[in-house]
Amino acid sequence: MRRHPREGWKDAREYMEAKKGRSVSRRDFLRTSAGAAITLPSLAAIMAACSNPRTDGSTGGTVDVATPDNPVRLPLVGQPIADGLQPEKGATLQIYNWDAYMWKKIIDEFCAEYDCNYEWTTFSNMEEAVAKIQTGQFNFDIFFPTVDPLGRLVKAGYLQPLNHSYISNLAANVWDNLQDPFYDKGAQYTVPYTTYTTGIAYRRDQITDDEIRGNPNPRAMLWDPKYKDKVGVYDSTRDTIAFALQKLGINDVNTENPADITKAKDALLELVELVNVRTSINGVYARLPKGDYWIHNAWSGDIVAGWGYVPDYTQENYETLGYWFPADRTGPTDNDMMAIGANAQNPVLAHLFMNYFLDFQHAMDNFSWNGYQPPQKQADVDALTSTEGRYSAISKWAPPIPYVPPWMPDAVVREDDLNNALFRGHELSPEGDALWSEAWQEFKAGA
Amino acid sequence: MPETTPEVAEPSRRQLRRAEQARRSEYGAWYPRWFWPSFAIPGVMWLIVFFVVPFYAVISVAFGTIDSFRNPLPVWQPWYWTNKYISGVLGHILGTDPYLRPTYIRTFMYVAIASTICLVVGYAVAYYTARHGGKYRTLILVALISPFWISYLMRMLAWVNLLSDDGYVNVILEKLHLISEPISWLSGKDITVVLGLVYGYIPYMILPLFGYLDRIQPSLLEAGRDLGASPAQTFWRVTLPLSKPAIYAGMVIVALPMFGDYYTNNLLSGSPNTTMIGNLIDGSVITAGQGPNGAVLVLILMVILLVPMVYYLRGTLKAQEAK
Repeated sequence: MRRHPREGWKDAREYMEAKKGRSVSRRDFLRTSAGAAITLPSLAAIMAACSNPRTDGSTGGTVDVATPDNPVRLPLVGQPIADGLQPEKGATLQIYNWDAYMWKKIIDEFCAEYDCNYEWTTFSNMEEAVAKIQTGQFNFDIFFPTVDPLGRLVKAGYLQPLNHSYISNLAANVWDNLQDPFYDKGAQYTVPYTTYTTGIAYRRDQITDDEIRGNPNPRAMLWDPKYKDKVGVYDSTRDTIAFALQKLGINDVNTENPADITKAKDALLELVELVNVRTSINGVYARLPKGDYWIHNAWSGDIVAGWGYVPDYTQENYETLGYWFPADRTGPTDNDMMAIGANAQNPVLAHLFMNYFLDFQHAMDNFSWNGYQPPQKQADVDALTSTEGRYSAISKWAPPIPYVPPWMPDAVVREDDLNNALFRGHELSPEGDALWSEAWQEFKAGA
Repeated sequence: MPETTPEVAEPSRRQLRRAEQARRSEYGAWYPRWFWPSFAIPGVMWLIVFFVVPFYAVISVAFGTIDSFRNPLPVWQPWYWTNKYISGVLGHILGTDPYLRPTYIRTFMYVAIASTICLVVGYAVAYYTARHGGKYRTLILVALISPFWISYLMRMLAWVNLLSDDGYVNVILEKLHLISEPISWLSGKDITVVLGLVYGYIPYMILPLFGYLDRIQPSLLEAGRDLGASPAQTFWRVTLPLSKPAIYAGMVIVALPMFGDYYTNNLLSGSPNTTMIGNLIDGSVITAGQGPNGAVLVLILMVILLVPMVYYLRGTLKAQEAK
């Protein structure tokens, strides 16, 4: 077995993966064995069911679905903390996040500065995270929600409004178009954390840059029988169906048109036939570098982080990793965010934590570790492919590598990418959501 | 003078109880009537807390609804239940759009093949150990079972490395000139998943078989030989019938978890071409809005698994009667 320089590191991803028996990624839907159990209903849900079954229904609540064309100002539930409070002393900050989505070195430095400890709790998918929050028993300080449940979390009173006086870095450092995002106008509850595009990761020893960039429809390359047994797609309903839609030339990645969804589903079934596609969640950052996959739909941050997972840390291995995103930037571009719990025990510290990670240097240091780009004004996006990050700099065992490998300029996210309303994934209506889920189940069931 | 018989006082209840106690104590210590049944309390509590209640929760989810977060919302009162989800799922198995059917057929095939391989291989191993292991039998058993002290997940992750394109399996096969280029075992092959299942569950086949084969009286086999049976006939007509209950037990013990297995396929394949029922359940549970469908799939699986369970119970009862 080949040794991994990060083996035995406390935060080494491979080590974590082996230890927890599951792969790790920001959107790690891979399940723990416990995940097989039906999510235990929360006490609140039981009470609700006892007194008033079914009226709660699947109506999706009364929160407007936020879209770029219909930005939503979330209702004010609760009050933000007062100005000028001192941070809690000797506190233990509760962080509720995806696994391996934040460099713990930076958190350690934050805690050294503010004299606190932290407890790091992870979830492996958003459904699990929301279910745990719904129990009302978990007083997290910092949480990393996605766009989908945000409105409902706010309405149900699980998040607290932010006091911007503690988060000066938001206005100072964050891209202007995320100061007032469509899902949370006025950034009342959230601050942006990272951004990413969804394109194609490929092995450059099998597919050349020119081959994929010169292809009139590179997405269709996943359907090429030439790559049989080496094609992967994310085990993620939204990302992979949207990918199939775009392959077919349907650019509405939030479509609820049954005919479109059926077409995408048929394309995916064809993918099973033609190339025996596999679904994965660690396919891009962990298994493509090992050669298990040659081509895979990919979040840009996964492939940027992929250099930490090559079998040997050699320049040659680095250069096998490639990423394609359309030159006209017509592909999904999204951002993740941070929020503070309504029952946070350390709300002041939580605000300061947000501010810390919106600081230019801290955000970039974190980027050098996790591969997901922060939306920082001061970052010269054109220089990301030539500037070495801190993680590479302290990783003496490996040849240095810039934030983004020089041959992957497509993986750099630009502020303008977020302006294209068509390619911003947003929440679906319950009916639309069911259509996507059923199409996905049919794809996964195989034939 | 008429003889007066001394009046015999009616024995008091207390005396009766004493007498009863004395009578019973001839057989050992006396215990009140509730004493022995009370030993079942922990077991009953266990069943209620960890089986009856969760099982009812699964039913309540399957017939329930979803909340505004699209998480499953169980409905506890049967009079509010809906069969929306159950009829939806059954429609996709038996109805006009049966896209779930191939997964069920595939799962049955996998489990049938994998448990048969488990039986054949496990029987040989158990037979050898029980009959020819001699003083090393314990050692052999420990050696066979020791890899299984490591968690299933860890062992499967190890296989992921062993079976990768440049893993030891391919290296060894190439060195032996059995293959000219590496086989991509992990590229979504049926055989990898089936062998993964075999590897994962085979000790549960070996142990009951060993236990039974070990207890077969050598005198029975000698009698068979004395009466003119060949070694093969002795095996077919004496050893095999005697080990039937262990075969039933082993088959049931390995088949039941195989039906619900999902991580073998997740780790060793991931291809929709090898999806098993467990993967469907897993996929539903972690998808917002699909929780009740997941519960329905669980109930369907339980109904399916009742068949081998009943068969097993009948088999063992018959075997007991035969004794």
